[in-house]
Amino acid sequence: MPRQLSFLAVAVCLLAAAMAAPVRAEAKDTLVIGVTQFPATFHPAIESMLAKSYVLAMARRPLTAYDPDWNLVCLLCTRLPTIDNGLARPETLPDGRRGIAVTYTLRADAEWGDGVPVDTGDVLFSWQVGRHPQTGVADAEIYRHIVAIDIKNEKTFTFHFDRLAFDYNAVNDFQILPAHIERDRFERAPAEYRNRTAYDRDTANPGLWNGPYRIARVVQGSAVVLERNSHWHGRRPAFDRIVVVAIENTSALQANLLAGSIDMIAGELGLPLEQAIAFAKNHGDRFRVVFKPSLVYEHIDLNLDNPYLADRRVRQALLLALDRATLCGQLFGGRQKVADGPVAPLDPMHSDDVRQYPYDPAAAGALLDEAGYPLVNGRRVGPDGRPLTLDLVTTAGNRSRELVAQVLQADWKRIGIPVRLRYQPPRVFFGQTVTRRKFPAMAMFAWYSAPANVPRGQLRSSMIPTAGNNWSGQNYGGYANPRMDALLDAIEVELDPAERQSLWRALQALYADDLPALPLYYKADAHIWPKSLKGVTPTGQEDPSTLWVEDWRWE
Amino acid sequence: MGMSTGGRVFSRALQSVAVLLAMSFVIYGLMGLMPGDPIDTMISGNPHLGSTDVARLRALYGLDQPWALRWLRWLAQVLQGHLGYSRLYAKPVLAAIVPALGNTLLLMTTALAASLLVGVPLGILASLRPGSVLDRLANLCAFVTISVPTFWLGLMLIAFFAARLGWLPAGGLTSMVAGEGGGGLADRLRHLALPATTLAVAGLGQYVRHMRAAMIGEVRQDYIRTAWAKGCGPARVVLAHQLRNALIPVATITALEVGGLFSGALITETVFAWPGMGRLIAESVMGNDFNLALTGLLLATAATLAGSIVADLAYLWLDPRVRPS
Amino acid sequence: MTPHRVSLFARAGRDPAALIGLGVLAAMAIAATAGPAMLPEPDAIDLYARLEPPTLGHLLGTDELGRDVLARLLAGGRISLMVAGATALLAATIGTAVGLTAGYFGGRADAVLMRVTDGVMALPLLPLLVVLAAVDPAKLGLPGDSDASEAVAVGRIVVIIALVGWTTVARLVRGATLSLRARDHVRAAIAMGAGPWRIMVRHILPEVASPMVVAATLSVGNIILLESALSFLGLGVQPPLASWGNMLTGAMDEVWTAPLLALWPGLGIFLAVLAFNLLGEGLQTALDPRRAG
Repeated sequence: MPRQLSFLAVAVCLLAAAMAAPVRAEAKDTLVIGVTQFPATFHPAIESMLAKSYVLAMARRPLTAYDPDWNLVCLLCTRLPTIDNGLARPETLPDGRRGIAVTYTLRADAEWGDGVPVDTGDVLFSWQVGRHPQTGVADAEIYRHIVAIDIKNEKTFTFHFDRLAFDYNAVNDFQILPAHIERDRFERAPAEYRNRTAYDRDTANPGLWNGPYRIARVVQGSAVVLERNSHWHGRRPAFDRIVVVAIENTSALQANLLAGSIDMIAGELGLPLEQAIAFAKNHGDRFRVVFKPSLVYEHIDLNLDNPYLADRRVRQALLLALDRATLCGQLFGGRQKVADGPVAPLDPMHSDDVRQYPYDPAAAGALLDEAGYPLVNGRRVGPDGRPLTLDLVTTAGNRSRELVAQVLQADWKRIGIPVRLRYQPPRVFFGQTVTRRKFPAMAMFAWYSAPANVPRGQLRSSMIPTAGNNWSGQNYGGYANPRMDALLDAIEVELDPAERQSLWRALQALYADDLPALPLYYKADAHIWPKSLKGVTPTGQEDPSTLWVEDWRWE
Repeated sequence: MGMSTGGRVFSRALQSVAVLLAMSFVIYGLMGLMPGDPIDTMISGNPHLGSTDVARLRALYGLDQPWALRWLRWLAQVLQGHLGYSRLYAKPVLAAIVPALGNTLLLMTTALAASLLVGVPLGILASLRPGSVLDRLANLCAFVTISVPTFWLGLMLIAFFAARLGWLPAGGLTSMVAGEGGGGLADRLRHLALPATTLAVAGLGQYVRHMRAAMIGEVRQDYIRTAWAKGCGPARVVLAHQLRNALIPVATITALEVGGLFSGALITETVFAWPGMGRLIAESVMGNDFNLALTGLLLATAATLAGSIVADLAYLWLDPRVRPS
Repeated sequence: MTPHRVSLFARAGRDPAALIGLGVLAAMAIAATAGPAMLPEPDAIDLYARLEPPTLGHLLGTDELGRDVLARLLAGGRISLMVAGATALLAATIGTAVGLTAGYFGGRADAVLMRVTDGVMALPLLPLLVVLAAVDPAKLGLPGDSDASEAVAVGRIVVIIALVGWTTVARLVRGATLSLRARDHVRAAIAMGAGPWRIMVRHILPEVASPMVVAATLSVGNIILLESALSFLGLGVQPPLASWGNMLTGAMDEVWTAPLLALWPGLGIFLAVLAFNLLGEGLQTALDPRRAG
């Protein structure tokens, strides 16, 4: 075979030079993690990116976070402030608005990697950076809502928020920065800060990190090397070194795992579910594959300005025509659950008590008949004599989504609605098609969120993107319902747990009746690690499993 | 001759600069025609981003200006010697490009060298007896390597040499395990083996075919026939005359390829997680990182243009028949 | 057909490699046209029959959505070959127009056009295609993405590949035009007052047609490979429409589970590219016998 000959000729040349035998020792003191994305920047507050939060969670700790059971816990603080324990106190602001004062105490032993203690000076500095209009901090909301900070001593401080919301004590997004390193870089030229920050110019500086590990080396586009932080206050982590390796192509990622170049694949940024299921089947003897149901809500946004979709019966018919149970059962091996609405089944606010849409093409057909779209020659024809056709836009290059879109298309074809599929690069899809409401009918994508997150941005009528509001807001479908608006407003400020629960139930029921979007399923993350690795606890929400990396060890 | 060689080179170089300038405008325009901007992408990833945030960020990154104006600003800045900052990597553009360029040059020169080392001798062998079994085999081999999709070849090599046999690593620059700097030279070479092989195989065919065609073309030249008639031994004829002249077109083609080395190999880099220029440019284009994308694309273009000037010069210099007297 | 071209094809017909190439392409064309009638619907999804091995009902088994692989292979072949053919044609047309203009008028037009050609040739190909694939036609005043039909989506791929693929033909045609313009019969025609368009169409175009056909044939293989590379980057022909490129890309994701799935579209691409290269080579040899072995 000439092909093999030429392969071999070249391969042998290089092999000879490179010495054939693999030299990879069983380096048990190093853990190599494979992910599909490389973090482009390392500044915790400027731009958010999944790969970055995964890596940074090993090297720094937020004040608070949601733990793997989705409860809010203190990480860098000593005690979670609540109204009950007196550390949080509702107050009235000078301008008459209702606000709240929340007091946190930093851990006494919390230190940066160069031995400088983490103190209230850092907190003040971070607030200053976060609210400065020129620093380029994308998500300035939390910094803006803090109107003042009282410093009690080196470790204790009080945030004064300008609003009283149910999640008053969740300051997960408040990123504490080391003032002793960053202050100078910031104050010299705030507008240049994002290009001067030590996080990107001097990433290996130990003083930037306060987690169990510190970033020791970055190989741009390829790998991040983390080493044990000698000034870490908590439990001593088991590995001397953790290496996070980015391999974008998931088939190549699997090959790296099988070849032993990486030890595990992070579920947060790992294999698509259907690949992971096949992997579990073939290599379940060597690796543990854990499927963790997540908060990621895959759904189809409906453009309610579309005359067909403005009719609720059409929306309901579209959902009834989908055999989501078979889709999840066959394509995803039953690992992903059919969604009924925007609240995940594992979320404490989830309610089952809502209208369900099991596969029922006959009922879908009846609804369409009723709405004025009878079946003529196998196609649904509207009152104007034109056949009912719809467009479904989704992201290109996402294999699962491409497959699902084709299955949905086939389901809708069965009730006489031809659907045209379009795939766009994520850059185009999220950069314009959905954000500027340029999809004519349907757009399929997912929402990531924190537990008990209020879907205000997605459902409130004031959050419909327009040129007037700079296309901000995420109510891409254009859903406007005063009852929904009222519910969203009420949920945000309701502090009584029982009352909140009932408001949440009402919201989910309204969503299920109205169907501003078509719920598909909740995604599951597939975590793959070697059988001998213990202590990894997938979270399924936006706080990654690496926030508890000090518990990971070999057995 | 109306113009000296130096003058010609100078005028070509001047024209190339004009081409680059035009290209920078076109690329800037094309990127401006891509929908959305980085802030739109941020909005979709972040429910809390409000109207004021959006306006603030857009102004901060200069995105509120029309793209032609932004291009002029960019040009003015570059003419003053500042390539600007990469928005994606939050670094000076050069600091982002230099490591990628190093990786790419390492990979591409290795692959090119391997293609030449195998392709040129194979082409010569094939040309010695046109129509023989060896010739047909070499030709077939050339066609086969040209006809294989690179990502398929790359994944097959990974499947076989990395996953099945475990001889070679499946991707990355070095092994991160054995201490700082990976495992040293041997480790780097082992990581280089599969991606370089993939690229070398993909490029092999054209060298075989060019070399063979050039050799056969030379046989027909009068001076070779004369050499034969004079009774020089076949070995000397082949080596001294034919080979020297036949290498000229191959050398010029190689000079053209050298320019192309700077743009990297997007597909191979993706399959082997090799952080080179191809990935960097594609990511910066998709991530709307104008400064980085322009510098990367123009650097690659400039290198290719320079390569073609060098190729012309090499042709002039190597081939006595076209050298001006 | 001019006598010149007849002899070109006739001479190529004596080359066994070219004949093999032609045979393979003919067989593919017949299979792609006639096959679908005898096979299951290529888009018929059956989630209960995913990744099945070959059976009598599905001669090559089923894919990850339970669709018949053979049916998709043939449907995909039709799309891939059509895309490649149309692209080669469009690229050759652009290239010929540019080359003719540059070669005939010479002077400043030639300098400008050739520098543009150099520039396009020098730009890195794939990143450029990535940019072009994401450009929003609506911003250029063209019909936007949203109201484009499937045919337009495929047409877009044809256009973007052709936009970067015309340079070889342009250089070739320019060279040929330059030398033809100096020939006696062209000079005579100019002297007799024939307009430039007439001369180009009547006297030059027929003469450059053969090298053009050869270059276009040789480029088809490359275009098939480019389409598969674009599919790998998620920018090629989009499912459910099958192309060899997107089938191969999809199959690469299942390569650890169902390796055979990657074999068929890979083989299709490989054979088609090989056949076009053999045919092109044969034509080239017929055109320029000095290159013959």
